[in-house]
Amino acid sequence: MAERRKFKKRYCKYCEQKVDFIDYKDLASLKFSLSERFKIMPRRLTGNCKRHQELVTVAIKRARQTALIPYIVDRKNVVENPFENVR
Amino acid sequence: MTCYETLFVVKPTLTDEETAAQIEKIKEVVAKNGGELIATDDMGMRKLAYPVEKNNRGYYTVLFYKAEGTLISELERNLKINEDVIKFLTVKYTKQKELAQFNKLVESANKKTDAAPEAAPVEEEAPAAESTEA
Repeated sequence: MAERRKFKKRYCKYCEQKVDFIDYKDLASLKFSLSERFKIMPRRLTGNCKRHQELVTVAIKRARQTALIPYIVDRKNVVENPFENVR
Repeated sequence: MTCYETLFVVKPTLTDEETAAQIEKIKEVVAKNGGELIATDDMGMRKLAYPVEKNNRGYYTVLFYKAEGTLISELERNLKINEDVIKFLTVKYTKQKELAQFNKLVESANKKTDAAPEAAPVEEEAPAAESTEA
């Protein structure tokens, strides 16, 4: 419930900023659509529209491939400061 | 001619000169096969999100170039053979909107390379000033 309340007012953040393309190297913009454990946040929680969700998904998967963000985070694979590279 | 972007990660164990040589080697492959290198973005040494071949860090470089499709297979073959390259990813830009973004990325990469020599001396000056105060 707590998490849902955070995203209560639902609108597409990317539509508002008129984003046409999401770069996989720009981690700061991907951060919004990632959960604490680096899962892709579902549309029902972030309020992203379908078009932008698809762009985000592709960007996140590319970032994972290039070791910019982790695939999984659990007790064995703890990331201390994952966004230290982001200024 | 299509716009492409290739990101690759070089092993952290190499010295600065060796990494520079590796990057130069890959740029040569692009040039030899009729590719037109537009910009390079040096992201520098970064921490990897997960260990790759037991490395915890890596030296990131991004190349932006225009080339024929045949270059990609040749480039990726070279990257695969090279043991000092631990990760690589090629992205193709075809749609209008993607191309606009591609140009933006190229611009920002060019700006960075222009700004880098200016920014470096400023950083050097800062600690020097501190030492004079002390």
